[in-house]
Amino acid sequence: MHLKSVLGLVVASSLAMPALAQERGGTLNFARYDGSRLIDPIYADRNPDIWMVGSLFDTLLRGSADGNSVEPGLAETFSVSDDGKTVSLTLREGVLFADGSSMSGEDAVFSLDRARNPDLSPWAGLLGSIDSVSADGNAVTISLKDADPTILSMLATFNTAVVSKAAYDAAPGDTDQDKSAAIFASTSAGVGSGPFYLCGFEQGASMDFCANEHYWRMGADGKPLPYLEGVHFEIIPDDATRILSLQAGEVDAAEFIPFSRVAELEADPNINMQLYPSTRIIYSPINTRDTRADGSPNPLADARVRKALNYGTNKDALIGVVLHGAGQPMSSPLMAKATQYASDLSPLYSYDMDKAKALISEAGLEPGTEVTLTTLAGSADDATIFAALQQMWAPLGIELVVEQVDGATRGAKNRSGEFDIHTYGWVNDVNDPSQVVGWLGYTPTAKAVGTGWENAEFNTLFEEAAKEMDPEARKAKFAKMQDLYAEAAPLLFMYETPFAVALGSAVEGYVQTPLGNNIFDEATVSR
Amino acid sequence: MSSLNYIFKRLLLMVPTFFLVMVIIFMLVRMLPGDPAIAMAGDRASDADIQAIRERLGLTEPMLVQFWLFLSNTVQGDLGRSILMRTDVIDVIADRLPITVFLTVYSVVLSLLIAGPLAFVAALNRGRWPDAVIRTIFQIGLSMPVFYIGLVLLTFLAAQLRLFPVGGYGDTFGEKLYHLFLPSVTVALYTSAIIMRNLRSAIIEVLDAEYVQFARAKGLPSRLILGRHVLRNALISTVTLLGLSIGNLMSGTLVTETVFAVPGMGRLMLEAIFARDYPLIQGLTLTFAVLVSLVFLMTDLFQSRLDPRMRLQ
Repeated sequence: MHLKSVLGLVVASSLAMPALAQERGGTLNFARYDGSRLIDPIYADRNPDIWMVGSLFDTLLRGSADGNSVEPGLAETFSVSDDGKTVSLTLREGVLFADGSSMSGEDAVFSLDRARNPDLSPWAGLLGSIDSVSADGNAVTISLKDADPTILSMLATFNTAVVSKAAYDAAPGDTDQDKSAAIFASTSAGVGSGPFYLCGFEQGASMDFCANEHYWRMGADGKPLPYLEGVHFEIIPDDATRILSLQAGEVDAAEFIPFSRVAELEADPNINMQLYPSTRIIYSPINTRDTRADGSPNPLADARVRKALNYGTNKDALIGVVLHGAGQPMSSPLMAKATQYASDLSPLYSYDMDKAKALISEAGLEPGTEVTLTTLAGSADDATIFAALQQMWAPLGIELVVEQVDGATRGAKNRSGEFDIHTYGWVNDVNDPSQVVGWLGYTPTAKAVGTGWENAEFNTLFEEAAKEMDPEARKAKFAKMQDLYAEAAPLLFMYETPFAVALGSAVEGYVQTPLGNNIFDEATVSR
Repeated sequence: MSSLNYIFKRLLLMVPTFFLVMVIIFMLVRMLPGDPAIAMAGDRASDADIQAIRERLGLTEPMLVQFWLFLSNTVQGDLGRSILMRTDVIDVIADRLPITVFLTVYSVVLSLLIAGPLAFVAALNRGRWPDAVIRTIFQIGLSMPVFYIGLVLLTFLAAQLRLFPVGGYGDTFGEKLYHLFLPSVTVALYTSAIIMRNLRSAIIEVLDAEYVQFARAKGLPSRLILGRHVLRNALISTVTLLGLSIGNLMSGTLVTETVFAVPGMGRLMLEAIFARDYPLIQGLTLTFAVLVSLVFLMTDLFQSRLDPRMRLQ
């Protein structure tokens, strides 16, 4: 969330500055692939919710443009004590919620206490180091149990955004969940201090954001942001219809354009086809357990076989057939290039059939060994991936068969280990590598993305990195983890993809950040 | 037996039907791999988190207890709380039901408007070129997938000619007629093909009947013959067919509502299944079952009006 706003600034100014005056007013019509259900910083757990938090709420800190540091947000100043165990922040004077009520340190305490309450928020674990939060007027003090190198990044992440305590106190309901739902349903302006507030919501159909006239950040014209009067979202789940809606001029922007349509839209003079850099990686976890779930021996338990599959996969060809060229092979085994501390190990398992065959024969794999690829039913991308891999791996003596399931089934299989290889993807929610590395490689929490892979050295490095305050030393630990992971190959390392958004020619300044956040702060639409 | 008595008896018979529907849907959704806790918490949640959600949702209770709760709450009009939407299932359905009913009724009306006149033209010109042309066109319509017809209509009529909107469903009745025209016509093209074929052969059969020949011989004007004798008798089997195809129409909304971005019950059903939202899936299935049962009842009542030989019993 922090990264987005700054990026928004950079892109918006580079695009819009030459204009004489900043275009103000108007409503941007935006076609989404899926709707939000509850935009509350601590309950947002699906991308369509998470990615909108920053439009309605503000965080204490904001990410810098390069994503490697933080800048003042709602907090004008911030500092970390020498022992790393105390964070002191001072809130900006005169920040108002969208209804005009004023924000104080009490709101920040309330918001952080909600965010770190494991009974409430699925994201509480990210704030596990916090011992207590207190405020004296506009001064906010966060005391930590242990020094935490990620704490400043976390204060710039969506789940720590500040909500109005008064709004929650006044909302009907017995539990925090009920209150949150009631506030969302009432489309109240008094809950957040972001550039917009929610002013209309029709479940599954549409959503409206109206400009917060009290927003504290200034635009290029010296007046408060945002430039737009509002944003109207239409939910159009079908890809083709979403594009048609843009072409017919009913909406000004359409997100999640299938890569097969990108070239065609790039050629359309009325459409500005954008490919925003992302932290999204597409990979396939490989079951590394000695036996399969049914008790039979697992040929993929042998690291040589997993490496052979990686060498035997032509990533460029995959990117060609699935993404129509709009992507790049993974260069770090654990994260997207844009992530802090990503090692550049490219070419990571560059296509080499001889190496692959040698590894297979070294491992003594029987020709005709059957391996199942579990894919998402109805996903054209997955179907293409299967067809391509089936051909690519045939010379290795591997007979790839497909099993098509829906998302919930795939999730259940990942948990129970009832799979050989399955397709998967990831987008960072936090601008710190610990989240994705914890997910893909650390065994105690996520069983290394369900692969069952376990490496004691990796786990120790991960735990050390969580406490390492020296950035260089922390970076070195992440580099070592990436080397270990690349060598063990618990995944089929595939590719990174951008976020494809098609904009009408009237739109300027809209940004989708590498974390996926939709930023309308500095967007304009000329009618 | 009076028709009121009959209706009461039919409504009573629906009770065991609904009970069976409830048993089947309760078991079916729980047989799917993955559960609402996994779908809700996301793949990244820990096993402990998932277990906690399961407990909160009451999924750790024995099956029979869960079923009893479902049954007793449903009888009291409480369909539970949607996991996905975080509101009461009954409210979500009340929100979406009118849209789907509107779409379905609109499709039926359009199907009849398309199929009726063309069936007459085809039947009266049996074996000649108008008959062949009409039958060929409908054969093509029947063999094209619904979503494909939808996309073709959207591309040409909405995106290129801009005659109709691509998405949305409008607020007023007039706006709804305009916004939902393309989705309705998409469904109607398919249904009207079936109705047209059936009505055409029914008309041909009736035209050959002795009482029609007698009416002709009596010198009755052909408008009267067609209206009073032919249409009425030909409609009997068509009404049955229309009633039976209501199930098809409803399941067609799953596709059309998604393609045309209409926020109705069909699209909601898809979302509910993907999220393993047990209460919502159960509530929607029951609602569909009630709708289909009511349509069947109405079909039977209408048929007995058309054909006095059919007694209500």
